[in-house]
Amino acid sequence: MFYRLSGIKHVSYAADRQLWPVPFDRYLVIAAVILGITAPFYLSPLYLGSYMLPWIIWATAALSLNLLMGWAGQIHLGFAAVMAIGAYSAIHLARAGVPFELALLLAGLLSALIGMIFGAAALRVKGLYLAVSTLAMQYMIDWIISHVPAISGGSQATLQTPVIRILGFPVDSDAGRYWVALAVCALVTIFMLNVKRTSFGRALVAVREKDFAAAIIGVNPFYYKLVAFWVSSFLGGVSGAVLAFCYYRAVTPEQFHLDVSIQAVAMVIVGGMGSILGSFFGAALVLLAPIVLNNFVGWFVAAIGLSLSPEVLALIPLILYGGLIVGFLLFEPLGLAKIYDNIRNYFLVWPFRHARR
Amino acid sequence: MEAAATSLECQGVVRKFGGLVALKDVSLSIAPGQIYGLVGPNGSGKTTLVNAVTGFYPPQQGRILFEGRDITGRKPHTVAKLGIARTFQNLALFRGMSVLDNIMMGRHIHMRPRALSTLLYWWWAQRDEIREREVVEEVIDFLQLQDVRSEPIETVPLGLQKRIELARALVAQPRLLILDEPMAGMNQEEKEYMARFILDAREERGLTVLLIEHHMDVVAAICDQMTVLCYGEKIAEGRPADALADQKVIEAYLGSRNRHAA
Ligand SMILES: Nc1ncnc2c1ncn2[C@@H]1O[C@H](COP(=O)(O)OP(=O)(O)OP(=O)(O)O)[C@@H](O)[C@H]1O
Ligand SMILES: [Mg+2]
Repeated sequence: MFYRLSGIKHVSYAADRQLWPVPFDRYLVIAAVILGITAPFYLSPLYLGSYMLPWIIWATAALSLNLLMGWAGQIHLGFAAVMAIGAYSAIHLARAGVPFELALLLAGLLSALIGMIFGAAALRVKGLYLAVSTLAMQYMIDWIISHVPAISGGSQATLQTPVIRILGFPVDSDAGRYWVALAVCALVTIFMLNVKRTSFGRALVAVREKDFAAAIIGVNPFYYKLVAFWVSSFLGGVSGAVLAFCYYRAVTPEQFHLDVSIQAVAMVIVGGMGSILGSFFGAALVLLAPIVLNNFVGWFVAAIGLSLSPEVLALIPLILYGGLIVGFLLFEPLGLAKIYDNIRNYFLVWPFRHARR
Repeated sequence: MEAAATSLECQGVVRKFGGLVALKDVSLSIAPGQIYGLVGPNGSGKTTLVNAVTGFYPPQQGRILFEGRDITGRKPHTVAKLGIARTFQNLALFRGMSVLDNIMMGRHIHMRPRALSTLLYWWWAQRDEIREREVVEEVIDFLQLQDVRSEPIETVPLGLQKRIELARALVAQPRLLILDEPMAGMNQEEKEYMARFILDAREERGLTVLLIEHHMDVVAAICDQMTVLCYGEKIAEGRPADALADQKVIEAYLGSRNRHAA
């Protein structure tokens, strides 16, 4: 078959640690990158703008959250608040004339700083209590944003994002904004891929798995959890800013409420904790599932001739969607990435079925 | 640096858990290069002593010195940098990582884990990884773990996992190695292997070893000095032949065996 491990020999430690040791995986990645870059040429503006673009940005956000949840093992129910800090600070900075690249960086830093302060407080507690304290962060940030006119621009206000300028050149086309989002996504993906093979990533996993064993080999558990909050919030802030600049092109507080946080957590869980590919799968499923379910429920109700009130109609997809997440937690806690992995593994050892693990 | 006169020294260590006194005024002194045995019936406080040394349960009284330096009450994550490594009685390997990554983790204090160097892997972290990999591969060869190197840790048999944990401790290049029942659950052949590794580790790396072990044949064979604990108290000390022949030690073990039988 196309996957073959036999005959692949590594003669250096660097080659042994390369990202995709199996050539076929490398071809897949190259194909995906080419498809990603050329998307504006073969996708209609509608598909590019309303499916591809949000998918890329949300995958970036899911990756950022996955660092915290999948690698460091800490739950965060206020990730939308982190993204909101990034979005609002980037917008204010850009309006004040700070170049976009720098605004993005500063937005990330501010999110990281605030995210880490909350993280430091939250890390004093564990498990369920951590979840509740991150939830508190969500509500506090929500409240601050909507009650401080200097940030939100007044109650019910919408702030328009200025035109993006990269190295001084304005980027004011759908394709341009898509490429900006794609570039950020690529950087975050590269970072996460490397996390899998550096001492930094290993230390996070070690603390997640056995904090006392990690401590005895010199890893300060609290420090690494904090760093996970810091980096995850930084990336989350950047993705929030990209979401505001490239997708919504405006910010309102509603874009970053609790439901959005839950959505981000769902992406990580459904996609697969600790899986990079999973974050892409998870973002796709969570973004697409409501649309598909909506259409399906509409069609189904019409087909069997039921007349339901619009409220009920709006609720059913949500219920199914909740069921989907519960289903994943029950039947495939390792998410879509695990399903993909099983299929890949099948081909990898084909025809020696007994060698599967 | 001139060699310190003692490696590890415990002076009057007391550790209580609520009303239970797990260590009562325990003192011992280990010379550099020794393999020092620590034995005693179940629940006699051996692991608690190690936890006191490595900072998990700092003693409420007494002092702990490492190479003449007071390390009482240090946080566990600062102990590795001093040159102390340990293994755990119940395996404490990291699931979700390969055998190699588990052992690489042991190099943590020698590496520079940074988020930024991770992003710039090819220009920054890779050099670090490869340099440390060489040290790790040496230990993998030494402990004959080549075949399982890239297996996920969960799939490796238990006896091997003990050896992997030893590897993780060894790659840190400690001067004092504390082994908490490294041979528990091993068959005779695996035990002999492990004993050989411990002797070789001392020979080749000039290690001092504090060995907790229930297998008295092993202790008698490879330890230079030993201490026997019973109910948190030191009841005998000296060369294995003498200490194990001590009347109190025989009684302690017979007593505990009788209790088990009852
Ligand atoms: N964290 C703890 N909290 C309360 N009691 C503890 C704790 N750790 C140990 N003890 C108690 O201290 C005593 C000594 O335990 P320890 O684990 O040191 O014994 P041990 O000599 O290592 O025994 P074993 O041979 O079974 O490993 C036991 O009575 C144990 O129940
Ligand atoms: Mg013990």
